Amino acid sequence: MEKRTLRSRKVSERMAVVDEADRRRVIQARLAALEEDNHKEDDFAAGSDDDEFELPKGSDDDGDEGPASGRKKKKVKVGGGMRKTRGMIADKSKGPKAFRDYLEEAELERLPEGTPSYLTAAVGPARTAAPRKFCSVCGDVSTYTCTRCGSRFCSRRCHAVHTETRCLKFTA
Amino acid sequence: MQDVVVVDLGGGSVKLGSARQPDNPKVFPNASAKLKGERGAFVGEAMLDTKDVSALSLRRPVDRGFVVAWELQRDILARAVKSLLGLVPPSACGLVLSEPYLNLPALREAAVHMALDELGFGSVYLCTPAALSLRWHAQRLPGLPANQAGCGLVVDAGFSFTHAVPLFDWRVLPGAIRRIDLGGKALTNFMKELVSYRSINMMDEGYLLEHIKDQLCFVSADAAADLRLARGRNSPFRKEYVLPDGLTDTWGHVRTEKEQQMLAAAAAAQRAGQGPPPPKQPVLMVNNERFMVPEALFHPSDIGMEEAGLAETVAQAVQAAHPHLHALLYSNILLTGGTARCPGFRDRLYAELRPLVPDDYELGIHLADDPALCAWKGAALLAASPQYMQLAVTRLEWRQHGAAAFAKWV
Repeated sequence: MEKRTLRSRKVSERMAVVDEADRRRVIQARLAALEEDNHKEDDFAAGSDDDEFELPKGSDDDGDEGPASGRKKKKVKVGGGMRKTRGMIADKSKGPKAFRDYLEEAELERLPEGTPSYLTAAVGPARTAAPRKFCSVCGDVSTYTCTRCGSRFCSRRCHAVHTETRCLKFTA
Repeated sequence: MQDVVVVDLGGGSVKLGSARQPDNPKVFPNASAKLKGERGAFVGEAMLDTKDVSALSLRRPVDRGFVVAWELQRDILARAVKSLLGLVPPSACGLVLSEPYLNLPALREAAVHMALDELGFGSVYLCTPAALSLRWHAQRLPGLPANQAGCGLVVDAGFSFTHAVPLFDWRVLPGAIRRIDLGGKALTNFMKELVSYRSINMMDEGYLLEHIKDQLCFVSADAAADLRLARGRNSPFRKEYVLPDGLTDTWGHVRTEKEQQMLAAAAAAQRAGQGPPPPKQPVLMVNNERFMVPEALFHPSDIGMEEAGLAETVAQAVQAAHPHLHALLYSNILLTGGTARCPGFRDRLYAELRPLVPDDYELGIHLADDPALCAWKGAALLAASPQYMQLAVTRLEWRQHGAAAFAKWV
């Protein structure tokens, strides 16, 4: 009896199905990735190339140290500068605000009804065409859906590739 | 008369030039690039001189079509303006700057602040690209009835997103603008994802891939039929792209028939035991990606986006305008923006849009002769006309009235 329950649990774990909400989250994450650049924030936070560009003249080394030390001195004179400096550094490493932040700050949903804004311009879901379905492996027209993750595939070969490489191998 | 600098600030590239030379604006990426593991960065115009395009780490001031990293943006523009104007101080010049449709008030102020306070221009006029494009288009085809009324629908298929913008009397109808959140950048990244999965890992090669996309992608007239053709080894769409070797071939190239034959001959010779092995080049294989990538713009549902395709977007934008304008708008659709350069774009839009347009309306779709530069050329026209002086906000007005000074732009 015990054996049987053990086995059935194992099977169900392997057949774990990703539910609708997770599937949607994966799609959203993928769409967000389509708007990304390959730039990594860390590269710049350490090198702070921006500072270099703002400098009027002088070689790199001088430039890097000159204003930084000057800033520090000022802060010390004013007093209580330590905390401020820290705040500034923290702000810098976060980088510039994303468009999403600006959009939230604009509070467009509070505009009177019918005012044209970024939000009203978004085109709605398609009404004249149903979603088409393509194989996630080879891109051809697909007839099948993966029972676990919901991706599409068109043939046994593509299904094998899919299970080996992509199926359930995402982090949502 | 004072000189006016004209800048079309796109998410992908900056188009910048003087209104006195309306034929040759500078076009350069709106980004700063860094080689992996090196400190120095190429900013804006300097990117055109890079000899090594692989594994460039790009930073763009524009996020989803709106400038957000103003420091970087100012830096990119300041350099280009300086090299354009030379010794002339910017304060003696005006500036026409493009802004996104339905710009956020905070970002509009930031743009004017950058133009007047930081770059130091004497006056500035912000305008959306659609109004400028139509101006240029009307000059090219003055005979169209719609053009005489300043009426038309501009499809701006840009780098960050795609807009359908109806205009009447040279003004944008803001309530009727419709947007798909898909542009050249998303398409490039989509292609990057596809080829990385199917051929070679190119996840770090966004900059190079954009170049490959421009060369190889096309809009299919019948995607289903082309997909059938693309099956198997004899696909007519199969192309090999020889990746840059870092020495002589900066950008890489599409492998030609001749190269193909030479390689085959060399391989045969080697098999026969004569001659050296053929040179090994890293090659990117593309097949149905060539047309399935732009396809996403016509059917965003292909990539899981719950938005209408381009044709329906255009129809929705027209529907949102006043009924009396529908016929005029459909008769004068202008395609602009870098993505519209994709071969087959116009014909496909026509084929998909025609069924959505009432029978008795004429459907006229015009592809701008240089879609990416259309807005810039229109802006140059405006900058050279006396109208500029009426529209521009001077530094004095900005200091005195702040954001209230933009009231005359509406």
